[in-house]
Amino acid sequence: MKFKHESIEINAGLLIALTLVVVSIGGLVEIVPLFFINETVEQVKTADGRDAVHPYTPLESRGRDIYVREGCFLCHSQMIRPFRDEHLRYGHYSLAAESQYDHPFQWGSKRTGPDLARVGKKYSNEWHTQHLIKPKSVMPDSIMPNYPWLMENTLDYSDIRARMQAQKAVGVPYSETDEEYEANVKRFGPEVAKNLDILYAEKNLLKQAETGNYDGDKTRLTEMDALVAYLQVLGTMVDFKSYQDGHFSEFR
Amino acid sequence: MADFLQWFTHMENSKVFALVLFFVVFCAILIYLYSSKNRSERLESYKNIPFEDEDHDEYTGSDDKVSKHE
Amino acid sequence: MAHAAASKEQYNYEIIRKFAIMSLVWGILGMSVGVYIALELAYPALNFDIPEITFGRLRPVHTTLVIFGFGGSALFATSYYVVQRTCQTRLFSDGLATFTFWGWQTIIAAGALSYMLGYSQGREYAEFEWPIDILIAVVWIAYLALYVQAIRQRSQPHIYVANWFYLGFILVTAILHIFNNLAMPVGLFTLKSYSAFSGVQDAMTQWWYGHNAVGFFLTAAFLGMMYYFVPKQAGRPVYSYRLSIIHFWALVFLYMWAGAHHLHWTALPDWTSTLAATFSIMLLLPSWGGMINGIMTLSGAWDKLRSDPIMLFMIAALSFYGMSTFEGPLMSLKSVNALSHYTDWTIGHVHSGALGWVALISFGSMYHLIPRLYGTKIYSLKLIYIHFWLATIGIVLYITSMWIAGIGQGLFLRAFDDFGNLKYSFIETVVFLHQPYVWRAIGGMFFVAGVIIMAYNIFRTISQAKREAAELEARIAAKMANA
Repeated sequence: MKFKHESIEINAGLLIALTLVVVSIGGLVEIVPLFFINETVEQVKTADGRDAVHPYTPLESRGRDIYVREGCFLCHSQMIRPFRDEHLRYGHYSLAAESQYDHPFQWGSKRTGPDLARVGKKYSNEWHTQHLIKPKSVMPDSIMPNYPWLMENTLDYSDIRARMQAQKAVGVPYSETDEEYEANVKRFGPEVAKNLDILYAEKNLLKQAETGNYDGDKTRLTEMDALVAYLQVLGTMVDFKSYQDGHFSEFR
Repeated sequence: MADFLQWFTHMENSKVFALVLFFVVFCAILIYLYSSKNRSERLESYKNIPFEDEDHDEYTGSDDKVSKHE
Repeated sequence: MAHAAASKEQYNYEIIRKFAIMSLVWGILGMSVGVYIALELAYPALNFDIPEITFGRLRPVHTTLVIFGFGGSALFATSYYVVQRTCQTRLFSDGLATFTFWGWQTIIAAGALSYMLGYSQGREYAEFEWPIDILIAVVWIAYLALYVQAIRQRSQPHIYVANWFYLGFILVTAILHIFNNLAMPVGLFTLKSYSAFSGVQDAMTQWWYGHNAVGFFLTAAFLGMMYYFVPKQAGRPVYSYRLSIIHFWALVFLYMWAGAHHLHWTALPDWTSTLAATFSIMLLLPSWGGMINGIMTLSGAWDKLRSDPIMLFMIAALSFYGMSTFEGPLMSLKSVNALSHYTDWTIGHVHSGALGWVALISFGSMYHLIPRLYGTKIYSLKLIYIHFWLATIGIVLYITSMWIAGIGQGLFLRAFDDFGNLKYSFIETVVFLHQPYVWRAIGGMFFVAGVIIMAYNIFRTISQAKREAAELEARIAAKMANA
């Protein structure tokens, strides 16, 4: 049979099929390997052989939901690039492993404000609370909106289990059975594993808010508690001092 | 078979392979489209399709409605 | 009149009118929100401490209203028009067509409201939460069915090139939408969900979606518009049909590879972003092939640019298309991207494409389309000229201020003093951004003013059509009485 471009042009089915084939090639070549090549997400272990990066605690996870709700990622990235200026300004460049439990990723695409990938522990809880209520009070030239309602809204954690279960369903290792819990103890250590246990989610959440006292008001559990808890853990899981310079460059 | 597939996993092979493959396909399309005069004329004739419904077009003046308005 | 009635029967114009009008409504709303959030960046007091209207929640409202509300409705309108006219067949089901209309309007309105209430998937241009995503999939399948059925029952053996582009857009958007929005809802009665993917994979899937939404929703589909409306308005066939064949296949093939250039220098494996940069450069060729094909359609009739403001819109759109498809590959070079990424240069680039190409080609097509839908002439050519100049000035102000903001901030952030320390703190660059942000907002206001004038022009055109129809009827009635 002789080929004619018209055979495509006069046959809707063929046109559809060929278009699908042609568009699929690029996407498949680029996306599919990422799910199968082990080096896509590097293994980052602590000195005692445990996973350095672990899922968020219930409180941090609720904080992250608020971060997504307010659209913070539209002005703040969470992805430090391997350049000298970014190293000086924000710290070590971001590793794939550090966002491996982020559903969705919040790398962002625009920095109207600074990168937040390693903002954790850089400022005090009081600073964050002040800054979120009224950014200009600590940074006079800031153009960030005020978020006073974070301090006013009581944190709703009634569906925290459902939220953790949904994340578990897409691959975050929160535990529900003894087996899963034991596996987490091995993988992340007992301290972390406790916080990943869905059955104690409410208790753990309250306890972290109580001891952390993120919003400076012990009497109330606010959305501010959750968001500051999340901000304070960002970028703190990998201790870069314990690795030699250039250790991570082989994974790029 | 596996050895054969292994060959593609090396960047230095697959890059050249893909480049050659895509370039050949591209050239083939060009040659197909532009080599034969008959084919060219035939293909070019399709560009008039949008004008084949001209009699339904009220704007270009053939329609009585617009002329009545004026 | 008999004629107009016949053509009404032949094609389903009612659905096109609805979509065309809603496209303007969403356009004005979405662009006004755009101006508002631009002003929020320049004058943060405008956030008013009201959660629903802070920048972070309104920004997806802006992008959704303009891309899916304005752009999407314009595409529904023009694609239904083009497929019916070039296949010379009527959409097979009026009910299904009406369903796509109401379905789509519901999606846009529900999406915008849900973001303001704080429900967002947190992924750019895919912020719709899961129930809305499901509705989108359903509406989209109905759209595909209508479109393919129209093509199948065409009375014309050949499928015109505009339809390939529209069909490619419908197919690819369906695939992108479904795969990118795989997510796990927290519960059946809550909007909140978590993406099925995480970290690197989520980023890659999202930008595969994001980039190809630009490639197919905002480019291929509007090229379909171009391939029909530019020749029709110029009154001459497209410059080269063979070029359009190359254009189509090269574009749909190459676009899919380029998404990862949004993730240069991130934790994404290096080979992926290098591959994406390579294909982004190659994309310049089909893009410019298409631009040349469109502009050269006018060859031998350049004088039309002097007499026809609608043609002016279309040619300016193609020129901006050429400009932003040159800028795009440039920004996909890793060295350029190191500076441009995370800055307002990206925002400027998007808008030279969105305002310059997408909006201008839509305006041109609408000015061509709407009088025909109502069987009359446009109310005022002069207002079209005014719209054109307002839009052009707006775009130029917008993109130049964003170049200044983006390149400026990029340079400030990487500046070192003599001792190798950072020369500027981040907040100093924010102070620098104020002025460009003000100019950007002014540019946006020009653009919105143009669209409002367009809406007025269209409104007058439609009421004129109604008056004419009434007069005609009265005259016929009088004739009948005399006879």
